[in-house]
Amino acid sequence: MTATDVHVAQAPPASTPTSPRSPRRLRGLPAAAFLGLLCAGWQIMSVLVDSVLVPGVPAIAAELVEIVVDGSFVEQLGVTVLRVGLGFALAFVVAVGIGIAMGRSEFARRFFEPAVLLGLTIPGLVWALLCVIWFGIDLINPVAAVALSSAPALMLTIYQGTRSVDPDLLEMAHVYRFSRVTRLRRLWLPALAPSLFAGARLGLSLGWKVIVLVEVFGMSSGVGYQLNNAFAAQNVAAVLAWTLLFAIVMAVLEYGVLQALERRAGRWRKAVTV
Amino acid sequence: MTAATRIRLTGVGKTFVDARSGARQQVLEDFSLTVEPGELVAVVGASGTGKTTLLHIIAGLVQPDAGEVDVGEPRLGVVFQQPRLLDWLSVRQNVVLALEAAGLDPAAADDALAAVGLADYASSYPTVLSGGQRQRVAVARAFAVEPDLVLLDEPFSALDELTARKLRLLLQELWMQRRRTGLLVTHNPLEAALLADRVIVLTGRPARISASYRVDADRPRSAEDKQLFDLHSHIVAAL
Repeated sequence: MTATDVHVAQAPPASTPTSPRSPRRLRGLPAAAFLGLLCAGWQIMSVLVDSVLVPGVPAIAAELVEIVVDGSFVEQLGVTVLRVGLGFALAFVVAVGIGIAMGRSEFARRFFEPAVLLGLTIPGLVWALLCVIWFGIDLINPVAAVALSSAPALMLTIYQGTRSVDPDLLEMAHVYRFSRVTRLRRLWLPALAPSLFAGARLGLSLGWKVIVLVEVFGMSSGVGYQLNNAFAAQNVAAVLAWTLLFAIVMAVLEYGVLQALERRAGRWRKAVTV
Repeated sequence: MTAATRIRLTGVGKTFVDARSGARQQVLEDFSLTVEPGELVAVVGASGTGKTTLLHIIAGLVQPDAGEVDVGEPRLGVVFQQPRLLDWLSVRQNVVLALEAAGLDPAAADDALAAVGLADYASSYPTVLSGGQRQRVAVARAFAVEPDLVLLDEPFSALDELTARKLRLLLQELWMQRRRTGLLVTHNPLEAALLADRVIVLTGRPARISASYRVDADRPRSAEDKQLFDLHSHIVAAL
């Protein structure tokens, strides 16, 4: 049980933008400065170490350009994203059902709690190994690994979110005899939106980590497979290039897509003006 | 639809047991009450006298431990102390959901909102409305579903007095247009006298009906009416 007693309907989370903004042009400056320093630092290190194991920035950049231009990055990324997407979607649907059930029923909570706790403590690496052993190279392998590793965190977040859903609204839905579908769509999901987004972030970040492992161990395509190839060829520049591009795409998905969705879901909060 | 629903409670008992301490509180014991079709009964009592429990039992939100509750399967229109709106949906959508759940034409939402003076706010989010306006939406929703039974649980007690007065008059007006069977739970004796056909006073624990008054004054009534004020004094004396 948690102490989160926030009433979603009444207390918008601190994400509401009220802090004074710096001028638009200057906002990206600190981040750009950090990245610039990182590149410069890396380059200095590579010159000082002078080893094939620490390639310089130009070598990494050349590798980056190559995998983007020859189309292999987009192709392999597509494969990986599809696997993560399917696995995550599966975990999400299951976790919404079980998470709400855990919040609604003491029995469900006691029943699923051990599964969630166990699932949270099992390392993603173990799921990756087990799924490779059990499912081989079928699509179900990466999907299951992603689902198994991200579902427990999602369930926990959603379950905790149900504690903040106003019971008065559930009573209202009961006396007006809202159907199950209406309750889910119009009451539970919107009320749980903050938890769903927090859970999605956490679940996706776990999913990315596991998918790469699965692809390293048991797949013949995907970003992880390419990383493994580069590793086998001792091509450090390629390992770094693949990792960098993958990280950038994940960041765009998370900060671009998820945040845009979250803002959309939270439109009504902005209406609080009186 | 006619107001054919009758509420009949016979020998109803309810005891709440505190889950932690195990302390038992008997709120109702052998409690009986009949509300005739088309009658609006106000239940007045101090806080903690089981008024809201009574309403929850009739609404099916609480199961009694003993006795019989005979209300049939009425379609309910309920106004709670808080508006209980879905803040992420527009005002219209809030009413539409209740209409759809009742199998009625969603287009009726706009008429319902117009009847409470909120036609201009149909597309707004409830969060931009004042407390009184939000409660108007709740009233619109309750009447929009063409209820067999209207349950009002301290509907105006969270509002300032001026706003509450306006809403009482609005409720009276709606009641005159579409009479239903109704139960109004309130701790405000004047509100009870103004709106109800019969006022019962609950006291003690377990609660018993310590007084009952029939209000014969014609509607529309005015809060300044001498007759109502006298009744109000009687109720206060019985509390």
